[in-house]
Amino acid sequence: MITRRHALLGLGALAGSPLAHPLLGQPAFGQTAKKGGTLKIAAPFNPSTLDPLTGGTGSDHMLLYPLFDTLVDFEPATLAARPGLATSWTFPDPKTLVFTLRENVRFHDGEPFDAAAVKAHLERAKTDPRSAVKSELQSIETIEVLAPNKVALHLSRPDTALPLILADRAGMIASPKAVAERGRRHDREPVGTGPFKLEKWNDNDVVTMVRNPDYWDKDLPHLDGLTFRIITDLNTALRSVIAGENQFTYRLNPQQKVVADRMGAGKVVVSSTPTIADYHLLFNYGKGPLDDVRVRQAINFALDRDGFNRAALMGLGVPAQTMLPPGYWAHDPALDNYYTHDPDKARALLKEAGHADGVDIQFFGYSDQASQQRHEIIMEQLRQAGIRAQMTVGSSADMYQRFIVRGEGDMLLALWTGRPDPSQAFALVYGANGFNNAGKVPPPPEMAQAQIEAQSVEDPAQRKVAFAKLEKAALEFALSGELAFVPAIEIHAPNVRGYVPNLLGKPKFNTLYLAD
Amino acid sequence: MSRRTLKVVGWRLLQVVPVIVLATFAVFGLLQLVPGDPAAVIAGETATAERIAQIREMLGLDLPLWQQYAQWLGGAVQGDLSTSLITGLPVLDEVLRRLPNTLLIVFYALLLAVGISLPLGILAATHVDGRVDRFVTSIASLGITVPNFWVGMILVGLFALQFGWFPTTGAVSITEDPGRALWHATLPAIALASSGIAEITRQLRSALIEVLSSQYVRTLHAKGLSQSLILWKHGLKNVSLTLLTVIGLVFNRTLGATVAIEAVFAIPGTGSLVVASATNKDFPVVQGVVFILVMIVILCNLLIDILYSILDPRMNKQ
Repeated sequence: MITRRHALLGLGALAGSPLAHPLLGQPAFGQTAKKGGTLKIAAPFNPSTLDPLTGGTGSDHMLLYPLFDTLVDFEPATLAARPGLATSWTFPDPKTLVFTLRENVRFHDGEPFDAAAVKAHLERAKTDPRSAVKSELQSIETIEVLAPNKVALHLSRPDTALPLILADRAGMIASPKAVAERGRRHDREPVGTGPFKLEKWNDNDVVTMVRNPDYWDKDLPHLDGLTFRIITDLNTALRSVIAGENQFTYRLNPQQKVVADRMGAGKVVVSSTPTIADYHLLFNYGKGPLDDVRVRQAINFALDRDGFNRAALMGLGVPAQTMLPPGYWAHDPALDNYYTHDPDKARALLKEAGHADGVDIQFFGYSDQASQQRHEIIMEQLRQAGIRAQMTVGSSADMYQRFIVRGEGDMLLALWTGRPDPSQAFALVYGANGFNNAGKVPPPPEMAQAQIEAQSVEDPAQRKVAFAKLEKAALEFALSGELAFVPAIEIHAPNVRGYVPNLLGKPKFNTLYLAD
Repeated sequence: MSRRTLKVVGWRLLQVVPVIVLATFAVFGLLQLVPGDPAAVIAGETATAERIAQIREMLGLDLPLWQQYAQWLGGAVQGDLSTSLITGLPVLDEVLRRLPNTLLIVFYALLLAVGISLPLGILAATHVDGRVDRFVTSIASLGITVPNFWVGMILVGLFALQFGWFPTTGAVSITEDPGRALWHATLPAIALASSGIAEITRQLRSALIEVLSSQYVRTLHAKGLSQSLILWKHGLKNVSLTLLTVIGLVFNRTLGATVAIEAVFAIPGTGSLVVASATNKDFPVVQGVVFILVMIVILCNLLIDILYSILDPRMNKQ
């Protein structure tokens, strides 16, 4: 039986690791929170939708967290599971997961939050044609209401990743009544249980939220409201915070941290913390030349990860070997120097693979200026090892689609935004049916086996062993080219207190308050 | 209104249809050349090929291009600008909600441009090749060559961040709070006006120089008229047509320049709407904005034609 306490064990190892950043998971000031005021946030993206199940972009979360509670919450610094709308959970057997729910919780429309609501929500998440989280919930076969505050998920296979999956979109419970009544309108008029209620959303302009006076946690929220001003130009957003018009902005580039440090000295607080999001090169090994493991290894030896971090991330990132950052609980530190920068070795491997004169590869990427800069760095590093990258760029949605769905190109530079449970990363990127596995080539058998172990063993220490196998195999077969973990850079006015950065790099505004 | 004016109005109104069709068709065609697929945007990061095909069908994106365009145009002529592909909201509402913000900075900029360039142009023309003239013409050349979004960023750096006199971003509705609306619009309007000032000053200067050196002005001098009477009564009246034409052109160009300026100042207007929609290939919204802006430009040209015939009665006789 796995309990929440089990899940927390083994995560404490984080202390003293590079990830145990002094700012991560720490509220900045220890005084009592002042009530009232509206926090004005410069948000860099208009949300795709505000229904957690139908939206598809990772930048929606910042607006979803205030409106919706998740069934399971996570520790900001470690991403370990902790109670959310569910106060506890257990696996009475490997194929059953039982949640005990918080009582006396109501949705913004007054409807009670209970086991029936959870069942209706998860069924919609699994079956609604517009659901974007279907693939994450494949292991759930049926959902059973045991009591008003108890719900059981019956699984087709053991799936210990589920609690943390339910700390993401899939676990953001919406009012079944509002969903039924509003239909597609629920995209723009969502009803959750969160500390804030949606007041208004003018597209590409402003989203306003007001406090939920009936929030179950009587201490929260401190603020009367949140105003998200959609400012897509990050420099403009930065200027608006320095000038004091807005009080918070996020997702800044490392280059903008330098600007904020210089122009905003004394006027803003700059926060830069590590995340589990990393830039990586996705390979299509369903066809030549990357179907040859030696060519993929050559690319990995040609990459200068430190150089990339310094040039593209101003040294604020962390060089990456796998999709799990150094210091993260599931990562095996023995693999930290698996691939070192070695152009000669890369050339030797290419020669062995029959490409003595070098090799041409089709390199896909996005057309924004910062991406182009990253491409140039990578192309130059590859060129020194005799790998000639032919660049094609376009909008992110389009290039992703061409590379992943249509199978065009050999290699794509993408930002992997990380997932709450590490098993999701390996399943999505390397799994036989993994969405990001462009060539849809099944992983080596030992990797498939380790994937099953990672999702079925209960003890975190055992899970760690399985993740180490997954990481090692991914490196051995050079299934991708991981570059560097990006920092989460946020700036806010000095009187904004209670901000707790998290490892996902997706700020939560629920606990913030404005000091005098 | 004279018959001639009525004819001008009628003729302009007849032009509306082909101009709208041409402009929106050109935009529609250009959008098709841009890579990207709105269905992929809607489907999100983890969508399957089937899901995307399904969305394409739902939105009618699987239809032949001419059919998509014809459907849109059929609706547009009946006043139905369709709905956004991404949000499903009516396009007309969205454009009308944002249009006042854009028109405010455009008219404010035009007012500034005319107010500043008139004295500058006159000053330069009456001091040809003097120090004042050379100063004004070099300032004007600078205004034409420097891009206005850059002027915008410099203005923000100086007057918003350094001195804190003006806000760096945003807009306030003119009906809600006129004072604050103008305060917010000032820096964007100055940035937008910079090239207009330069353009009008240069054109006014050269037109005025030509008039002032013409034979009939020499005759007026010979008749003993004062310098100022010649300038104000005869000189300016004769350059008014040129001035009007230039102002019309500057207005149209300023309307276009809002695309960049609204991004710099985070103004929720039609310019930023067009940028956001074009990125997602949300063509009904892009088309809707173009449709409304073309209408405004045609209306502006019409107004100028009418003013022509009022300022120069000879036009009615031709």
